[in-house]
Amino acid sequence: MVISHFTALVLFSFFVSVVFAVLSRQTLREQLIYGAKVFIAFVGIAVLLGWIMLPFA
Amino acid sequence: MARKVAEQEESAAREAVRPSRAQASSGRLFGLCVAAWVIPGFGHFLLGRKGRAMVLFLAIVGMFVLGLAMQGQFFSTGSGSYLHTLGYFAELSIGVSMPVATFFGYAGGNTYFVCSDYGTAFLIAAGMLNVLTILDAYDIAMGRKS
Repeated sequence: MVISHFTALVLFSFFVSVVFAVLSRQTLREQLIYGAKVFIAFVGIAVLLGWIMLPFA
Repeated sequence: MARKVAEQEESAAREAVRPSRAQASSGRLFGLCVAAWVIPGFGHFLLGRKGRAMVLFLAIVGMFVLGLAMQGQFFSTGSGSYLHTLGYFAELSIGVSMPVATFFGYAGGNTYFVCSDYGTAFLIAAGMLNVLTILDAYDIAMGRKS
């Protein structure tokens, strides 16, 4: 299976966010909110760091 | 008096939810951790948290399967590199999935494949997530977590 770097990032973030949310929060609502936050943080910070590193590439 | 009775009832209810140290014997805890290691999420299943167990199983095994699909590398302890040894133990943490993949003909990945590095990251992360799952099941069995 060949996927782009961004797709790999999104898939990785999704699975890790799901596990983090299920392990660290109790109710479904809390899990959904926390999972969404972790997912957005993973993807957002990776994209931001990519932009910061772009001038040095 | 009424307050004392209410406190006693509350305490009894808390004890009913939380397994005591005596109940969570070391043999039972060990078996639970082994079960949680062999099949991701099985520890939670044995503790009665079936929905949570199913989500953990699907997420961790899904990640492992994606790692295989991207030709992720299986490490070994014989390479002499500490990082490879650490990678081996991380991948071993997934439990029975790694021997099953080998049994069904997975040769340990192709490092020249374009997505092999992504695949290796997925395999290692799946193992690490399973370690967190084992520790969570252990905490629940010890009564440290509701």
